[in-house]
Amino acid sequence: MAMMMPPRMNPSDSASGPKQHQSWSPYDNNGGTCVAIAGSDYCVLAADTRMSTGFSILTRDYSKIFQISDQCALASSGFQADIRALQKNLDARHQTYQHQHNKQMSCPAMAQLLSNTLYYKRFFPYYAFNVLGGLDDQGKGCVYSYDAVGSYERVGYAAQGSGMQLIIPVLDNQLKSASPLVLPKRESATPLSESEAVDLVKDTFASAAERDIYTGDGVEIIVINAQGVQKHYMELKKD
Amino acid sequence: MSITSYNGSALVAMLGKNCFAIASDRRLGVNFQTIATDYQRIFEIHEKLYIGLSGLGTDVQTLYQRLKFRHKLYQLREERNMRPETFASLVSAMLYEKRFGPYFCEPIIAGLSEDNVPFICTTDLIGAKQYSSDFVVSGTASESLYGACESMYKPDLEPDDLFEVIAQALISSVDRDCISGWGGIVHIVTPDQVITKTLRGRMD
Repeated sequence: MAMMMPPRMNPSDSASGPKQHQSWSPYDNNGGTCVAIAGSDYCVLAADTRMSTGFSILTRDYSKIFQISDQCALASSGFQADIRALQKNLDARHQTYQHQHNKQMSCPAMAQLLSNTLYYKRFFPYYAFNVLGGLDDQGKGCVYSYDAVGSYERVGYAAQGSGMQLIIPVLDNQLKSASPLVLPKRESATPLSESEAVDLVKDTFASAAERDIYTGDGVEIIVINAQGVQKHYMELKKD
Repeated sequence: MSITSYNGSALVAMLGKNCFAIASDRRLGVNFQTIATDYQRIFEIHEKLYIGLSGLGTDVQTLYQRLKFRHKLYQLREERNMRPETFASLVSAMLYEKRFGPYFCEPIIAGLSEDNVPFICTTDLIGAKQYSSDFVVSGTASESLYGACESMYKPDLEPDDLFEVIAQALISSVDRDCISGWGGIVHIVTPDQVITKTLRGRMD
């Protein structure tokens, strides 16, 4: 029977080098959606709590939000293992910073650090789509949106992850701020009150959960303001 | 790039109270190059029945001509207009005829029945029918449209409110899709009139 087998054409078969299974990939996509809104004196950061792979749900209560410091939090979707590695890396860098400077890192500084950390792995990237939110040095809300290799921008609101395409047009419709190219420069923060922003985030997640299979189960919402950090949670569809 | 996104399109239809709205963008492009900004994708079959065809421009026109022809034959033989449900089945059957060499169009069918009950329906490019009781979307901006419609749509809206909702949903969705946009067109169909309005959006 062995004679009937088709000849194996791959030249690497017989000769040097370890064999690798052809279909193995170092990456997976665990889905998830992150949204952030910056206000004049607050920042709202939200992410759903579902973790999936393919058509399976791995868990319904996985937090995608990572509190880095008192005025800075990071919401990430993508590949859970890379996200955890990134969070540990940032946390370690922040610990060192605190020892060296005897203070916590500011949110804009953390934003630059995150960008550098992502670009450091430019040719084997962290499969992570991040939204960084918090308060800047003046106590204003700030949101930074990233791609996987560290290109980032300060924005008034942002959405990342699997439900991004469903949520972004709604945020545009409700919050559209002046283009960053418009002169004179205008405020990027949104005019909404804190509770209005939280309600808007809840609405967009409820909508995204209707149509995106990777978004659902629950949405964790973090509000950062001068009083500190408040956490909210809302149930989403579990189907 | 897929052939269905060669020209770019955005289509949406919504049910209201004894009325419906159907809207589309007006761009025709070749990939990222814009060719025309007054391209018609929504067609009147009769005064209470409309079809929107997203996807490949050339197939849009061919399919519309064939459907118009089939509807005229029906009118001659039956001496009446087609019911929306019947027309949806005709579209579905004609698409499935080309099961292995399809028209690259995803139609939206919207109509009012004889007793003015609104009806909307969509099919995929090989004719799988999908009825809906709220809204249907199609085209390259469909995902943005799903998000926008899911948050903005309310059932049983009056024609004026329905226009506002569908226009806002369309405009905010096409602004996040590179290959659809350049304004839009909305038809609001009520039992006694059809209101057609063109929208000016971002022209980029």
